[in-house]
Amino acid sequence: MEFVNESQEKIKSDLLTVNMGPQHPATHGVLRVEIKTDSEIVSEAIPHIGYLHRCMEKHSENLDYRGVIPFTDRMDYLAAMSMEWGYSLAVEKMLGTEVPERAEYLRVIIGELQRIASHLLFYGVYAIDLGAFSPFLYAFQDREEILRLFEEISGARLLYNYIWIGGVWNDVDDDQLRRISKFCDKMEENMKKYHSLVGMNKIFRERTANVGVVNEKMAYQYGATGAVLRGSGVKWDLRKDRTYGIYDKFDFDVPVGTGEMGTLGDCWDRYDVRVREVFESIKIIRQALEGIEAGPIMGKVSKIIKPPKGEIYMRTECPRGELGYHLVSDGKAKPYRLKVKSSCFTHVSMLGELGKGQMIADFVATIGSIDIVLGEVDR
Amino acid sequence: MSSEVVDFLNREVSAAGAKLMEVEAGDAPVVVEAAAIKDVCFALRDSSELSFEALQVISGVDYDESIEVNYMLASFSKNKEVIIKVILPKDSKDAVPEIESVCDVWKAADFQERETYDMLGVKFNNHPDLRRILCPDDWEGYPLRKDYEVQDTYLDMEVNPAHKINQGDFDFMTKAKLDSSEPKKITGSWKGHVSTEVADALKRKMDSLKSAKSE
Repeated sequence: MEFVNESQEKIKSDLLTVNMGPQHPATHGVLRVEIKTDSEIVSEAIPHIGYLHRCMEKHSENLDYRGVIPFTDRMDYLAAMSMEWGYSLAVEKMLGTEVPERAEYLRVIIGELQRIASHLLFYGVYAIDLGAFSPFLYAFQDREEILRLFEEISGARLLYNYIWIGGVWNDVDDDQLRRISKFCDKMEENMKKYHSLVGMNKIFRERTANVGVVNEKMAYQYGATGAVLRGSGVKWDLRKDRTYGIYDKFDFDVPVGTGEMGTLGDCWDRYDVRVREVFESIKIIRQALEGIEAGPIMGKVSKIIKPPKGEIYMRTECPRGELGYHLVSDGKAKPYRLKVKSSCFTHVSMLGELGKGQMIADFVATIGSIDIVLGEVDR
Repeated sequence: MSSEVVDFLNREVSAAGAKLMEVEAGDAPVVVEAAAIKDVCFALRDSSELSFEALQVISGVDYDESIEVNYMLASFSKNKEVIIKVILPKDSKDAVPEIESVCDVWKAADFQERETYDMLGVKFNNHPDLRRILCPDDWEGYPLRKDYEVQDTYLDMEVNPAHKINQGDFDFMTKAKLDSSEPKKITGSWKGHVSTEVADALKRKMDSLKSAKSE
């Protein structure tokens, strides 16, 4: 490109290629974005993924149906419960298994706690991306409580293998349920505080409002789901619109982006949707804690699982968006094919278009706001 | 739901040849002709009665004589979903079937088609940038095909050299087998280099156990 400087001399400028990642604090894992920069403006952004590819789909073809569950944990390691739940639902639907009432309630409670934990992590890490450090510590304090509880229930802090085909593998006692209830009360107060601390902060608003705008049409074009789709003003939540489990028993709202700080579908809206989802999750957990009754936690599943021939596409609402399992069965004891639709994978494909014309610092804010986990992108 | 889509496609797209696939369990996919896939996708996206706004995922499945490409479509406004299936015949083991890209219909198809190309070796014609996405650019073979074999070398490097993997564990297991009265109960998935002496000793032991049993 050619420019003219102050003394009317012609000067030439070239695009500079900068690699952001694979080791970079703001890419949330091993994502590499090849950025062609024109001074501080991104003129082209090409995401390169695959650094964390562990052939999960190929592995699952050589495992029995139960053996796949720990592998699904390792996709989105920050929301492992949600990953297991989707897979278990897909297999249960193929088998026609009935899940006991108590197990369904436990799944909802655990799944929503997982959503809170995941959104807390987003809240903390996003604040770090934008230069604020202490919100991260606040968020981790509360997240730690959830992880401790999960450790008590399942024996692991991150990769649980807790939700099994037909139910859940371990019961939760009344004391733990009371603690969850107490945690909800505390969390509600804390989240209000946190939101006023970060979301209403002037610097945060300036950094996120009108940045990385995803309008409704673009969200449809790229197949965006979850908070990215809702941030663009589309009222769509699988828990409400295509109910699975026992979500139809609960009363909750679906938060959508309002554009109150800037344009509809900007980074602030996506942040705001996630924060408000925490309150909705608390609402659901409270209702579930009221409704839960004693009973069995495991349905009748045969020792060797052999679903009939056929295929299914099961979608569930995970913290980061819709997770889909395309399960093809040939009537044998191992899945013939298990394809995972990852919402993060879809969202990474948006980076090329979102990045164009942004400042590099804004690009960092955009990557943070779509909340990706590279384990799920690469599988 | 699927039968509604079949009726719609046979009415609107002449070359679609849509029919419902019968399955024992799960969702029934709609099978369409490969040549008409782009028209089918445009029709499904733009119709006011179905309006499938989003392509969720493209999922390829490898069979002996064909590769199936499944397009999962979702409609948010009408609250519907459908699986559109295309069956691409595969002449030989290494054949790379071709199909028209649907990137013009949904931008989501860009990454999804790249993944299907990378993993199953389906070529999407008129794709803007058909490169491998999860594997390195110079990877050979298509990992999710059923007959895929892991390569021995990659860029002159040995892939998974047996002598480097858990040799200590492997030695331990071999020793335990030799010491145990029931060597068959000691199992492990480790691979390793075993010296001929040890291998012979192990073989002798197994044989002697076998003969003792038969007597």
